[in-house]
Amino acid sequence: MLHPFQSVLLNRDGSLLFCVVKNEIKAFKVEGNGYVLRGEWVDDLDNTPLIKEKVLKEQARQLIENASKKLKTNDGEPVAQPKKQAKVPKPGPGAPPVYQYIRNLALSRDGKLLLACTDSDKAAVIFNIDLDDKDNIFKLIKRQPYPKRPNAITTSVDDKDLILADKFGDVYSMPIQNDVITSINAEKAPILGHVSMLTDVNMLTDSEGKQYIVTADRDEHIRISHYPQSFIVDKWLFGHEEFVSTICIPEWSDKLLFSAGGDKFVFSWNWKTGALLFKFDYTDLIQKYLTSDHLAPERFQNEKGDVIEYSVAKIVTLKDVPYIAFFVEATKVLFVLKVDEKSGALSLHQTLEFDEKIVSLTSALDVNTLCISLDNRDNQDCDLVKLLLLEGDVFIEQKDTNSQLMNTIRSTLKSDLIANVEAGDVYPLYHNASLRKHGEHFS
Amino acid sequence: MSFSTRRQAYRAEKQDHRKELKHVKIDESVIEKVDKLSLPKKKFYRQRAHSNPFSDHQLEYPISPAHMDWSKLYPHFYDSEKKKMTKDVTIADIGCGYGGLMIDLSPEFPDEMILGMEIRVQVTNYVEDRIIALRTNHAKENGYQNINVLRGNAMKFLPNFFNKGQLSKIFFCFPDPHFKQRKHKARIVTDTLLSEYAYVLKEGGIIYTITDVLDLHEWMVKHLEEHPLFERLSEEWEAQDKCVSIMRNATEEGKKVERNKGDKYIACFVRLPTPDII
Repeated sequence: MLHPFQSVLLNRDGSLLFCVVKNEIKAFKVEGNGYVLRGEWVDDLDNTPLIKEKVLKEQARQLIENASKKLKTNDGEPVAQPKKQAKVPKPGPGAPPVYQYIRNLALSRDGKLLLACTDSDKAAVIFNIDLDDKDNIFKLIKRQPYPKRPNAITTSVDDKDLILADKFGDVYSMPIQNDVITSINAEKAPILGHVSMLTDVNMLTDSEGKQYIVTADRDEHIRISHYPQSFIVDKWLFGHEEFVSTICIPEWSDKLLFSAGGDKFVFSWNWKTGALLFKFDYTDLIQKYLTSDHLAPERFQNEKGDVIEYSVAKIVTLKDVPYIAFFVEATKVLFVLKVDEKSGALSLHQTLEFDEKIVSLTSALDVNTLCISLDNRDNQDCDLVKLLLLEGDVFIEQKDTNSQLMNTIRSTLKSDLIANVEAGDVYPLYHNASLRKHGEHFS
Repeated sequence: MSFSTRRQAYRAEKQDHRKELKHVKIDESVIEKVDKLSLPKKKFYRQRAHSNPFSDHQLEYPISPAHMDWSKLYPHFYDSEKKKMTKDVTIADIGCGYGGLMIDLSPEFPDEMILGMEIRVQVTNYVEDRIIALRTNHAKENGYQNINVLRGNAMKFLPNFFNKGQLSKIFFCFPDPHFKQRKHKARIVTDTLLSEYAYVLKEGGIIYTITDVLDLHEWMVKHLEEHPLFERLSEEWEAQDKCVSIMRNATEEGKKVERNKGDKYIACFVRLPTPDII
């Protein structure tokens, strides 16, 4: 079977569709009256040399440290100790599989750069999108490893800097065109940090042109700091009671910001004042779409085994229509909410149900198009991606475009060794649930 | 209920007591019911000295500063007619340990509310019991009504408790040194956390640091000096500030260092005015 697309991304005018399959990125471009494959990139980095380097470095450090504590003879000469070479650990039988994810697919604001993050070396990879190259539009600019796993990326408003938020809570800003830095923490301190895993990052500009950086974390916080003076915190947006997983900043408003995560609400904020404007409760709407996928992990279950946990995976919006679309992780339904631009109030506008579970969601801002990728494990004939176009005031599935796109995908991926897998070898697709806190530590 | 150790029995008894008295407004009427309370014994509250600030602890914290009910911690500063607090917390002792600093600060700043934050459960319980006992024993003169303690993780949730510019003083007394290089982010003073401290401190507010670990002292000084919103205060300033002398002598750790004839390193920093936004 074809491996489902872990994430999809459309550019502003919908002419480019980027898809992540395991450790490769595919780019499809609209040409004539349909999509064709125009780019691919595989993260084939073997990280054993990296691990080896780390192990040897640690060994060298320990040897130096131990040298001061070593046994000494009576006249102060150190007693020679046998030197052992450190062993590079190899996964034994039964070790958990290693997934070479590509995460956080994003485009620069001008759409000329594609950004992604690799798990293998915790790097940000930046590509120039070269549409003139008929074979492969991806031109790797650089691959910058980071000390901790990157969780979200964006670019500065002028697209000159890469802004990256990591699992450890730190945010780094680095010029895109500069050379790769080898020891980040020594050369480039984080521009801000939370003591919590970061889940999203984005930039804001107010009417006077002043810039802000927004960061969301696992400890319910959304923080707004000035930029580039990121040491000045402007405010926090308080109201979440569970982790925040997604923030959405619409271009059609100069004050609204939407967020969601482990809470049963989609939050609507005025980021200028910090006021919580509206909480849209989706509990009732989602009930009939919840399955055994949403049962809490065993160690947090009750005796009856009916603790259910679910969270919003992503919110997206479009260029100039007051709608936002969101989905709950591992469900077959996409909700479209209408936004009252004055009050920020949210109301249900459309419910789109699919045959399979949604894995990823993106939007082509300028052409009012949404795109989802679907989990095809239960039905291998289903569409891996679907495009939905706003016609009048409802989103309509583009049956012709979709089937043409699927034909392209199936024919181009037919002999792709990475994308063709056994059903049991599909990468884990749902990651949000593990962000939930259960307060395990009592002391 | 049977207890296998004296410590368990003691802890259980104190817990019942604490439940009863924790949020009571202690005044003269309470004294009639309760005899003079003995101060809690530290030996029953021992706990390992470290707590991982990155773990998901079971913590209680308000959704936002507006959600915080301070009246339960400081009943004497609650105006029951207007249904609001007469004052806000302005002094915070982060990692207050056994509470010695707060107890000495209390009579020096009778009109300011002082809050200690401590991440270790048993240590927090000790401070709560200590404050209950002190309030009861000094009920006549309403002593120690301006201090209290919260179990919390200040590195994560400080802004949930305090508004922008609410605090005038923050104390970091003998913080966990986290010697290992890779543990340095667990230190209470880091360049990124300082921005949060700068947010809750008013302009002109002061960060006090004291430690017996030279390496940590140098680390804190380096990061505070590098932060654009803080400036170090002179030794002359330290010499005339009463909090510095209390900090040097009041805390349990401070006394221990004194007994062991160790060094104490002090550094104080003032919160500079926020510069113009570019």
